[in-house]
Formats: sequence, structure tokens, C-alpha cells
Amino acid sequence: MSNKYVEMGMRSPVNLTWEVTQACNLRCSHCLSSSGDPAHNELSTAEALDLVEQLHTAGVFQVNFGGGEPFIRPDFEEILAACHARGIMTCISTNGTLISPERVARLASNRLVAIQVSLDGAKRETCDAIRGNGVFDTAIEAVKLLAATSIPTSINTVLTAQNAAEIPAMHDLARSLGVSLRVSRFRPSGRGADNWETLRPSPPQLLAFSDWLAASGDVRTGDSFFSLTTQERQGLGLNLCGAAKLTCCVSPTGHMYPCAFLQSDRFEAGNLRTSSFQEIWDRSEIYASFRNLRIHSCEECQRFDQCHGGCPAVAWHLKNDINGGDPECLERCVTSIADANRTAVAA
Amino acid sequence: MRNSQSTASAGCTEMAAAGIKLHPSCRARQERFGLLFYDCRGPRLLFAETGTLLPADFYGTVRSRDEFPAGTSDSAKKALQKFVTQLLEKGFLREQ
Repeated sequence: MSNKYVEMGMRSPVNLTWEVTQACNLRCSHCLSSSGDPAHNELSTAEALDLVEQLHTAGVFQVNFGGGEPFIRPDFEEILAACHARGIMTCISTNGTLISPERVARLASNRLVAIQVSLDGAKRETCDAIRGNGVFDTAIEAVKLLAATSIPTSINTVLTAQNAAEIPAMHDLARSLGVSLRVSRFRPSGRGADNWETLRPSPPQLLAFSDWLAASGDVRTGDSFFSLTTQERQGLGLNLCGAAKLTCCVSPTGHMYPCAFLQSDRFEAGNLRTSSFQEIWDRSEIYASFRNLRIHSCEECQRFDQCHGGCPAVAWHLKNDINGGDPECLERCVTSIADANRTAVAA
Repeated sequence: MRNSQSTASAGCTEMAAAGIKLHPSCRARQERFGLLFYDCRGPRLLFAETGTLLPADFYGTVRSRDEFPAGTSDSAKKALQKFVTQLLEKGFLREQ
């Protein structure tokens, strides 16, 4: 198992999420970082380029750019070029609204970039209800532009109660466009917390998705550190949360966190304006606590070897306890459905 | 020397090529246990318990299959030859 190597401690993250701006031209109801207006005092171009140099020195293999909408930053392509000049691979998560033929041509000239376009329904009305009017059509056009190039492109969908039934159709849509599908878990952070009860998939939906995913070999899921198919995850032997072990998150203002879903003062590992990237990675007490995190309450569960307690961020947001195990895990879905059935029978 | 393999199938490799080099989609770096290989095409990871036998940038340039760092013992060379074969099969190295 690869977990043992990870638990020995890595000299730097394998990859990281860098939210380069909080500015976004959309107001998606599930947005994990409540993006909209830019954050006060976001990293300057010079600071961003210095960070790229630090990531290179640290040996980070890949940077996953998010936000906000990364392409809103006027210097984003400069930051991207600095990564590529140092051999750092990049993946950009975009809403697709700022993808022009000219931009695609520039991006396609480099083979170190991959792009994920967000789309939250196979039907226009489903997607636009979450992301805003007209976004579905714009995003589809962006995917078509990208699919015509050599840029590895995927559609990224956040699983919600509203689109759960459309996921197989999303898969068909992605195939028809010549790109892959990645389905991300909906987590209650940012605006996602405000709209949690409306958007959260039900236990039966989560179980149905899990079954479908297991049977759909080429669909990737986005966990905290990788985008993997079910088979790849099993083959890799990595089944623990990667936060602070294999990955981490850099905010628009240079704060570092264990992952993008835990961007709060409670989980701040450091700030790049006062410490170096390597110092924070090596010395942060928050990171040390995540590296030592063991979800003992889940150890007796039959699925423990498959998830090691699940997502600490969901546990934190729903129960204020990262040690308590993932309250939305598949095992708890099964229990929840059984409880509901018993209650119905009793009534 | 052991490695914990990642996923995906191997590419068929010819043994008589001029040299071998890290695949352009792959990277390697030194870790406490040895070398960590990363392939962005998966993405895939490969954890190799090579210790300090091989510098991370060794296959950044074209090498012959029998070429190893100076001072490598015969037994280590044997182990490394097997390892190189695995890296070729898994696509982390490619023949030039």
C-alpha cells in the first residue's frame, strides 16, 4: 500500500490547489469559496511569480488552479507560463465563460496544461439553476473549443440533489463532446454551506451514484488531492485523505490551508507573506495535526480500509469535529436509509 | 528495493533502443524512502524504495540501460536494472 510512504511524510505536496483569485463573474449556489468579489489584498503578480519559484524549488509536481475564476486575473497566463517554464504541470478549473478561441490557441501551445470546465447538469435548466442563466450554453461552447485541441479537457460536475439523476447523461454528453467526466463531491463550505439542505444529495442518491461510479470505469472523482477513476484509486493504494500529506491549498491572499474546503482561521497553516512555502509545509502545527489524524471512531467499520474515516472537511462543517468521521459516508447512508425504513414501518 | 506500483497498463518496450529517458509527462523527486515518480497522464504515482541509489534527475538525460551512477555496486546494479525495466513497462521511462 502506498499509504505507508505518505505517512512517512513527504518533502512537499505532490500537487496543490491554488485559488488565484476570489473574483468570479458567476455566483454558483454551491461555490465552496463563496466567490464573487476579489478578496482584499490578493497576491500581486510579483508575489505569485515568487510562489511559483518556491513551488519549483520544493519539487511540487502539479498546481491545480481554481478560484474564483482564474482567467479573471489579468496576469493569470503569466503565472501559468512561469509554472510551465519550470516544468510544473497545471490544471485549470474554469467556468468556461472566458474561454475564447485566441486563449485556447495560446493554451494549446503548451503541453503541460489540462482544463476542467464546470457544468452542473446535462439539461440546460438544471445547470443554469445552479450556475446562472446562459452558463450551460457558454460552457458547452468552451468545451467544444478545448476538445478540438490537444489540451486534456474534462467536464467537472458537483453532485447535487438536483443533478444526481442526470449524471449518466452528463457522462454521455462528455463522451459526445470528446472529453472526460469528473464528478466532485458537494461539500458544505462557502455558499455550499448556505445551500446545503437544498443541494445535498440524499443517501439513496449517494448510494446510487456510488454504484454507478463503480460500473463506469472512465469517470473520475475529485477527492481532496486527486482526480481518479475507481480502478486507479484501488491500484494506487491511496485511500486516505491527502490534505497536508499529498496536497494543500493556497488562498488568493497567500494563506495556506490543508485543503480548499477548510479555508478558515481555525485551519490556517501560515501565510506566504510572512513565511516561505517550505517553512509552512514543514513546520505548520495544523499540517502536523492532519498528518497525525486517525479517525478511531471509524476503525471498527467494515469500510475503514477503503476510506480511513472519509473527508475531515465534511466532518468539520457538519459536526465541528475533524476526528469524528465523515457524517455523509456510504456506510452512514446505508444506516440512514435503514433507519428511515424502520421508522416508516413503525408508523 | 521495492516499489509500490500505481495504475494503468504498461506500454510494450523494445530492449534495443539507443537510450532511456524520463517520459515528458512524468517527473521524479527524492523522498525519504527513495524516489517518487509522478505521471500527470493518470495521474499516477510510483513510490520506489531506491534510497539514495539513483538521483532524481538521473533520467532527465538519455541514459543507456546499463548506465548507473558511479560507485553503484554490482548487486545494486542488478536491482536497478529490474527497476528500470518496471519503469519502462509502466511508462515512466521511455526509450529514445
